Amino acid sequence: MEAETDPVATDQLLAENQQLRASIAELEEQLSAQSARTNEIVAQTQERIYWLDRWHIDLDKLVRVPGVSQSRALLRAIRAPFRLLKKAARKLP
Amino acid sequence: MTSVSVVVPVKNGGELLSEVLQAIVREQPDQLIVIDSGSSDGSAELAETIGTQVIRIEAAEFGHGRTRNAAAEAATGELVCFLTQDATPVAGWLAAYLAAFAADERIGAAFGPHLPRPGSSPTIARELDQFFGGFSRSGEVTVQAAADDAGWHPGFLSNVNAAYRRAVLLDLGFRDVEYAEDQAFAGDLFAAGWLKAFVPGAAVLHSHSYSQLGFIRRYFDEYRGLRQTVGHVEALAPLSATKEIGRLVAADERWLAQSGGSAAERIRLLPSSTAHHAGRHIGAVLGSRADRLPAILQRSLSLEARDGAGRDGREGAVVRGKPIAAQRDRELFYEMLDLDGESGVPLLNPTPGMSEAKRLHIAVVIPSFRTGSGGHDTIFRIFQKIEQLGHSCSIWLADPMLRMKGEWPAVIRRRIRDEFVELDAPVYKGFDDWFGADVVLATSWETVAPVLQLPNCRARAYFVQDYEPSFSPTSAESIWAEDSYRKGLFAICASPWLAELMSEHYGASASVFQLGVDSGVYYPRQVERQPKTIAFYGRAATPRRAVPLGMLALAELHRRQPDLRVVIYGDRHPVESTFPYEYLGVASQEQLATLYSEATVGLCLSVTNYSRAPQEMMACGLPCVDLAGFSAESVFGEDGPVALSEFSPKAIAGHMEQLLQDQELWNERSQAGIEFAARHSWGAAAVEVEAGLRAALREQEASGRQA
Repeated sequence: MEAETDPVATDQLLAENQQLRASIAELEEQLSAQSARTNEIVAQTQERIYWLDRWHIDLDKLVRVPGVSQSRALLRAIRAPFRLLKKAARKLP
Repeated sequence: MTSVSVVVPVKNGGELLSEVLQAIVREQPDQLIVIDSGSSDGSAELAETIGTQVIRIEAAEFGHGRTRNAAAEAATGELVCFLTQDATPVAGWLAAYLAAFAADERIGAAFGPHLPRPGSSPTIARELDQFFGGFSRSGEVTVQAAADDAGWHPGFLSNVNAAYRRAVLLDLGFRDVEYAEDQAFAGDLFAAGWLKAFVPGAAVLHSHSYSQLGFIRRYFDEYRGLRQTVGHVEALAPLSATKEIGRLVAADERWLAQSGGSAAERIRLLPSSTAHHAGRHIGAVLGSRADRLPAILQRSLSLEARDGAGRDGREGAVVRGKPIAAQRDRELFYEMLDLDGESGVPLLNPTPGMSEAKRLHIAVVIPSFRTGSGGHDTIFRIFQKIEQLGHSCSIWLADPMLRMKGEWPAVIRRRIRDEFVELDAPVYKGFDDWFGADVVLATSWETVAPVLQLPNCRARAYFVQDYEPSFSPTSAESIWAEDSYRKGLFAICASPWLAELMSEHYGASASVFQLGVDSGVYYPRQVERQPKTIAFYGRAATPRRAVPLGMLALAELHRRQPDLRVVIYGDRHPVESTFPYEYLGVASQEQLATLYSEATVGLCLSVTNYSRAPQEMMACGLPCVDLAGFSAESVFGEDGPVALSEFSPKAIAGHMEQLLQDQELWNERSQAGIEFAARHSWGAAAVEVEAGLRAALREQEASGRQA
C-alpha cells in the first residue's frame, strides 16, 4: 500500500527548504564579501607599511621597549605649546 | 638506615683539603673514599691520617666521569655522594640528602647549593646566591623530571656537591668526557625516568678565588666540556654580549647594595665585575670553539692544561664524533614530519551551489622564490587575471627552508608587484593569520603538506606546472614530490600531458590550462631577421631543458654549416662548446623579444612539461624546434607550429637545418606560430584555471551529496 503524502506538509517543507537555502546563500555572500574586504585591507596596509617591514621595524614591539612611551609623551609635551602657538597664530587676522 | 659513601677526587688538595675531610667526617658517612690522582703535596697521606680509604691512580688515568665510575664501584653505600676537594659541607649536609632520598624513591640524583666562602667577591657571591636560590624559592626540596622542564636550569647537576643512588649510578654511569660529566648524567637520568632533586639543606662552602685570567681559563674548560657533552656553542655576538655584561654588572651592583655595601664598595666593584663577566664570555666563546684552536693554544688556555684531544686510542674508550650544536629552529621539511601518516584536516561541509559562487576566495600557497623564477611568474600572472575575473586572492608563503627569512610580508608583496605583476592580493608569511578559503591551492610539492593542514577550506587544488619528481635524482624529495600527487588534491595541470599523468598514474582528478604569452612583450619587433641565426634556450642549471643534447645538436649543425650564428641564453654561466657562439646570459624580456624577432630558428628542449619559451618565440614569428615524446605534442600537436624532433642530436640538427634552408616551411611554421600564440593569452589561461578551481569545488559538492 502506498503511503499517502500530505500536500500541505510537503509544501511547507519545500518552502522551509527554500528559505534555508536562501539564508545560506546570503551568509555565503556575506562571508565572501568579508574575505574579500579582509584581503583588501591587509593588502592596503602592506602597501603602507612597506618601509617598516623593509627595515624590520615592529612598532608594537618598539613601543613596549621601556622608556619609549615616556619619550613619546615627553616629545608630545614639548610639542604641545608650539602647536598651541601655531593654532593661535592661525586665528590671528 | 640508608648507608652512605662519600667520594672526594683529589689532586694536590692544598690547604682546604683537611677542612673538607674533617667536615665530612663530622657528617658521619659510612664510608669516605679519597681518589688521589698523583698528588705531590702530601694530600693522600693527609687523607690517610684522617682515616679515609685512599685509592691512588696515575694522573694520566684520571677522567671526571671514568674515575667517579670507578669510585662508585668501590663504594659500599646505598647512596654515593661526590664532593670536590674544595667543597666544605656545612652541618646537616648529609642528613638533608638522606631525608630527600627517603622522601621520594623516584629521586635518582640530588645536588645542593654552593655557598660563597667568607671573603668571596660580591660578583661570585651574587651569582651563587641567585643561581642556587632559583632552584627553590621556599627553601624546600624541589624535583625536576626532564631537561626541558620549564623550571630553573633543569639540566643542571654538579659533582662539586651531589648525591646519587648507587644502583642508578652503576646502571647509567658517567660518560667518559673531558668535563661536565655531571650535566650529561642529568640528561641520561631523565631519559631513564628518574627524578633529580635540589636539596637546599645539603649546602657546601665552595667558591673560587681565581685571578681574572684564571677565571677565563676556568670558563674555557667549562664551556669546552659543555660543547662536548650537550653541544652548546656560545654565540659570538659582540653587541648582545656587551648588553649582557652590562646587565650582569648592574645585577652585581644591585645585589651589593641590597647586601648593605657602601657606595665606595659599589663603585670599586664595577671594574672587577666587568672584567669578570667579560672574561667569562671570552672563555665561553673560546672554550665552545676549542676544537678549532691549535692544541698548544688549548693547553695554554686550559686551567687543567689539557688540549682536549680526547681519550681515543685508550683501551675501553668510546668513539666520539665531533659534536655539532643544534643550528636550526626547525627541521628542514618539518611540514612533512607534521603531516607524517596524517591525511590532513577535514574540509568544510560543502554548501549547495558553492562551485558557482560569483566571487571565490582563493588562497594560493607558494614556495620561496628568487628574482626571475618562471614558475612563480606563471602563478602570479594567472592569479592577477583571476583577480580581474572578480575573485579575491591571497598569497601565502610556505618557507620551511627559511630561504626568505629576512623578508617581511609587505616587502615580499612589493617584490611580487615590482618583479612579476601587480597583484592586488595581500601576502602572508606562514599560516599564523590563516582565516580559511573557498579553495586553497598548492603550487609545488613542498606546499602540499601545509595545504593539507589548513582548516576552514571548501576545496583543495594543486596547481601542477611540471612533473617535479623528475627534478632531482631518486631522493627523499623526489619521493615526497611523487607522493604529493596522491593526496587527493584536484590537479590543475599546465598541459594535457601532465593532466593525463596525474589521472592515470596517481588517480587524481585533473583539469588542464595552457601557458600564456604576454602579447605586450612578445610580438614581431621591427628588426631585420638575421640569416642562419639560432636562438637556444641553454639553461644548463635546469637539467630538464636537456642542454647537453642541444649543444650536441648545435655542434652537429655547425659542422654542416660553419657560418652558423648561435646565440645561447638563459643561464648565469656560458656553457663550454666546440663551436663559437654568442652568450646572452639571463636576458631580459625585451632582449628576448628582440632576439626572437631577429633569429631564424629557435631551439628549446623539454624532457618533462613544455617551457614557455617556444610560445614566446612563436609569438615573435620565430619557428622553433622542441622534443617529441614528452609533453609538446599534447600542446602543439604532432605537426603543429613547433617542429618536434626525436631525442637525437642529428635529428634535432636536421630539423633546424630544414628550417634554415626551406623558406616555405619557415613561413608556414612562423605564421602558424603567431596564430597559436595569439590564442594563448594569460587571460585565456586564467579562465581555464578558474574552471579547474570550480571543478575542484564541484567535486566536493558531489561528494557531499553522496555522503
